Order: sequence, then C-alpha cells, then structure tokens
Amino acid sequence: MPCCRLWRKTSIKNGQKGPSLKKVVLVGNPNVGKSVLFNRLTGLYVTVSNYPGTTVEVTRGRGRFLEEELEVIDTPGMYSLFSITAEEEVARQLLLQERPAAVIHVADGRNLGRMLPLTLQLMEAELPLILVINLMDEMRRLGLRLNRDLLSRRLRIPVVPIAATLNEGIDELQKKVAELVRQAA
Amino acid sequence: MSDKRPNVVYPPPIIQSASSIARQLKGDYNLSRWAMALLLLQGDQDIALLVRRCEGQNRWQEINLIVEKTKKSSTEPISYLIALSRQQVVQELLQGVVVKEKLRQRTRLDILGDLTMRPPVGIPILVLVLYFALYRFVGVFGAGKVVDYLEGTIFQTYLNPWINTLVERYIPWLAIQDLLAHDYGVITLGLRYAVAIILPIVGCFFLVFSIIEDSGYLPRLALLVDRLFKSLGLSGRAVIPLTLGFGCGTMATLVTRTLETKRERIIATFLLALAVPCSAQLGVILSLLSAQPIALAIWAVFVLLVFLLAGYLLAHILPGQGPIFYMEVPPLRVPEFRNVFIKTFTRMRWYFLEIVPMFVLSSVFIWFGKITSLFDYIAERLGQLVTYLGLPSAAGEVFLFGFFRRDYGAAGLYDLVAQGGLTVRQLAVAAATLTLFVPCVAQFSVMVKERGLITALSMAAFIFPFAFAVGYTLNLLLTAAGLA
Repeated sequence: MPCCRLWRKTSIKNGQKGPSLKKVVLVGNPNVGKSVLFNRLTGLYVTVSNYPGTTVEVTRGRGRFLEEELEVIDTPGMYSLFSITAEEEVARQLLLQERPAAVIHVADGRNLGRMLPLTLQLMEAELPLILVINLMDEMRRLGLRLNRDLLSRRLRIPVVPIAATLNEGIDELQKKVAELVRQAA
Repeated sequence: MSDKRPNVVYPPPIIQSASSIARQLKGDYNLSRWAMALLLLQGDQDIALLVRRCEGQNRWQEINLIVEKTKKSSTEPISYLIALSRQQVVQELLQGVVVKEKLRQRTRLDILGDLTMRPPVGIPILVLVLYFALYRFVGVFGAGKVVDYLEGTIFQTYLNPWINTLVERYIPWLAIQDLLAHDYGVITLGLRYAVAIILPIVGCFFLVFSIIEDSGYLPRLALLVDRLFKSLGLSGRAVIPLTLGFGCGTMATLVTRTLETKRERIIATFLLALAVPCSAQLGVILSLLSAQPIALAIWAVFVLLVFLLAGYLLAHILPGQGPIFYMEVPPLRVPEFRNVFIKTFTRMRWYFLEIVPMFVLSSVFIWFGKITSLFDYIAERLGQLVTYLGLPSAAGEVFLFGFFRRDYGAAGLYDLVAQGGLTVRQLAVAAATLTLFVPCVAQFSVMVKERGLITALSMAAFIFPFAFAVGYTLNLLLTAAGLA
C-alpha cells in the first residue's frame, strides 16, 4: 500500500537523525517464524535494507515493550554461531556490532533437539537471551506438551512459549523483553 | 568460569585451550571471550581476522599457536567435537521437557474435520455448503436482494432517468448522448452492470470463498473429490481453481498454475472456460431460474453432465499420465475475521479494477457497433442462429454481449426476462448455452498468457460451435419431452 511506503521513507530519515533506540535482535534457524514474530512485535515503521557489502536483507522496525520503545531487528536464519553461509555471517555480524539489549532466540517447538545447540552458543556468548518456543499451536495439534518451567530452570534463562500466527504469548514476551532490557540498563 | 555459562562438557583439551585463548583476549567483542575462543578453535576465518585486528600481532601469534597445537593434537575436527558435546547437553536438557501425550482429546472440530473427508457424511456436507454458501447467499441474497435494490431502485428508478435528462439537456448530439446514456450508454449500461449487478454478486462470492478457504475446508474437499477428479484427469488439488472459477474464471485460470502437470493445467483451463459459470453469470442465472425450479434443475444437471463428460473425454484424449496427489490437511478452524475481510477486500479490488475498464470499453464497442450498424448486423445474424435453439431473436443481442464478457451476456439475459419473459424451456436452453459459451475477453487473454495462443485459440474454436450444438440438442430434447 502506498501509505506504508510513505512511512517507510520517513522512518529511514528518523532512524538516521533521531536518538538511537535500544535494540532487540531476533535470531534462529530458518523457517521457525521469526518474520511472523517480527511483524507481531513491530508496527508500521519498518525498513528493509541490504546489509552493507552484501545482498542479504535485514529488516528493522520499532516496537513498544511496555513503556519502552525498542528497535527490533530481524536477522537471516542461522544454524550456528560458527558461520558458514553469507546469511549466517550477516546474522552474526549483527550480534557483534549492534550491541543488542536483548536477543530473542526463536525456536521451532516441534524440533527442540535441533534448535537448542544455538541457544547454548548464545548463552556461552553471554548475550542477554530469551528463548522463544514458537509453533505452540502445531505442538498442541501433534499432542506435544512443553514443560516450560523445567526448561527455564535448567537453562537459567526466560523461556516463553508462543504461537506467533495466532498472536498467542506475544504480550508475555513483550513483558519479558522489557524486564530484561531494564535489568541490563 | 562464570556461573552464567551453561555446563557444556567439552573434551578437556578443548576446555584448556579455550581457557588459555580467552585469557589472551583483551578486546571488547560483544560476544563473551569464551565464545570467541571456541569460534577461533573451530577455525572461523572472519572471527580470526577480527581478533587479529583487535589484539595486535604479538597476542595474535600466541593465540594462533594454541589454535594450531589443539588442532594438531586432535584426531577429529574440533568443530565436530564441540557440536557433539553440545548435542549431548541438549539431550540431557530436554529430558522430560517435551512430552508426547498418548491420547489427545479430540475436539469437536477435529471430528467434524475428519467427517468432511468421508463420502457418506462429506457429500451431504458439501451439498449443504453449496446450498447455503452459493445458492442462498450468493444467489438469493447477493444476486437477488442486493441486486434488486441497487439495480432496480437506485439505478433504474433514480440514477438512470436523472442521467438521461441531464445528458439530453446539455449534449446536443444524439450519438454522444447514446455513448453516455440511454440503453447502451457507458454510465447507464456499463457502470450499471459493473456496480449494481456484478459487484454485489462477486463481493458475496469472494466473502464466502474467503471464509471457506480460511476454515481449512478446501483441502478436505480436495481429498473428498479426489477419486471423482481422477477420472477427469485431474487431482483433488484442482478443486481449488475450479471452485474459484465459480467466482471469477479469469482469476481461476491464473490459479491453475498451482496444478502440477501441464496436462492437468490444460484440462482445468478448458473446463473453466467451458462449463464452470463465474459468480456473475451464476448469480444472474440463479436469480432468473429460481422462480422456475424445473429450468434450474435442468440447467444444473445439464451443465454438470457436460462438465463431467468433457473432463472424462479430455482425460482419455490427451496423452500423459494421471496425476498423483498428496496434500497436507490443516486443522479445521474458525476463520479469523480480519483475514477474511482483507482477502475479500483485495480480491474485490482486483476484480473491480479489472472489470470497470472492461465494462466501459465494452459499452464503447457496443456504441460504436450501434452507430455503424455493425452491431445490428451481427446481432441479427446471431438472432437467426438462436432461433434454431428455440429462442426469441432478441436473445442474439444477449449472446453478442457474451463476447465482451460472459457475465455481461448473463446480465443481458436478465434484461430480456425483465422485459418479456421466456418460457421454462427457453430459460433452460439460454442459460445452458450462455454458461458453456466462450469465456469473456479477460479470461481469454489470461488463457493465452498461461497456456499459449494456439492452445487458447483451439479451445475457443471448439467451445463456440459446441455451445450452440449443445443448446440445439437440449432444445430438441426438452421439446421432445413436451416442455413449453
């Protein structure tokens, strides 16, 4: 829609001139619903740009987390911090350079065994981490039940189950992100 | 070690090396030194460059020495060993975290969802869906009530007489008057058809289709009809473009792209052009024939027979294998209002932007044909032709409209009935012939685009005489059956 494009332009300007916001970075394997979650967390102020020197697209937007307005960055999918592809390199660069106030690791709840190695790496890197377990609706359909408290106790980080397409658990996630950002400050 | 770190138990040589590297690192990397050390040990080139730049030559040499020594002393790649250790930790972490429930409670929606795929229950459900969604809502409500109000009340009673007087008062030339107003004017005919007859019908259909689409019913319908469709050379998947064809054949022809084989796409395109009436046509036909249930039944059965026969024959004539079909069936769910609204809106906008210029253009064509008498000549010829179908020669004009748009023709039929009235037999024959008749200009242009000029032309060349032959046969049959 033309109105969105208009806003996009102004937001690029604002992004360059205005005071810089604290950042939240979404990371995770490809196809776990990062972009759907990104859209849930951000409003209309969205910019899509190529990462400098690459053709890899990075999407940035703004979102409100309780009282705090934060910049949300959607990264290309990554399997590991030990990067192999150009996409993974860009995702890692974002973590190295953007100094995020919170990192949200988005994981596919149906396949946590394949997802958690990245969680461990992000924890080893001592990033301010929240583990989001997405696709709870699909898990329910498959009859998979998640013991989030057990996982959260073992990992010692916040674990938030969500169903991004159904807008489920987004409120709680926003609250947890706000808490994490406030602690870090 | 910091207690924030999860206890991944790496092999002791790796822990030792990583710790010594981490001690050497003084820069601020945003990732912890421990994580940086592990990346260096795995031989990450970009990280190595970064560290070299940050730490200076001396410290980098020491770090590199540790990396090389660790690599040499290990029989397996370090990245593999590290990944393996992490995987073990993940296994332990996940013990008891995700539990598979043995007997999940099946919701009522699940049960209904399964039933829709079983013929004994699925077919009655399909009939109910067709009856309420297509007949009651699109036919009776959309094409009946809404059209009556917009067409009869707004346009015929208020707008058209007003425009006619306005045009007559300010424009002295009769030819220009006719272009804008009177019986075939751009406003009084083109815009009236587009806004008052077609738009409400198409809008109702797209609304219903979006609801059905979002409920997850379509894939179930696909599985239900798969076996029937196989004998038409199609897979159940074709149910989606074919159902959409009841809304707009142009859009549906575009959607045949989702079919897997070229053969299947040709069959679906052909059936859409021949025997699937679009919602505008359907709406007008349903509202015309609803007063004559016998004519409605004859029309429905006859078009269905043509559809099945054409598909069956094509499946046997066209070379190639029948399709293999597998489709993931999503859960049945209550559609989200917002999604349905957005889908309906975007489809209606697409349709309206495409259709209004067509209607205006068609009006101009007809106007041009009128003033040059070309139109009268063709209409007269067609008028002769339709008398063989037992129809009044005025119906020739209606068929001519059909060239410009299928629904345009159907809407012309509406006018014809409003003027004089046709017998049950004439209604059934006219409706059937118009349904089979050539696709509208827009659909034909999409056929050319998607299937190529030769395929599209040969389809049209077949459909045109075929529609008349079928109309002729139907008329003979009905007359023989003693129907007036």
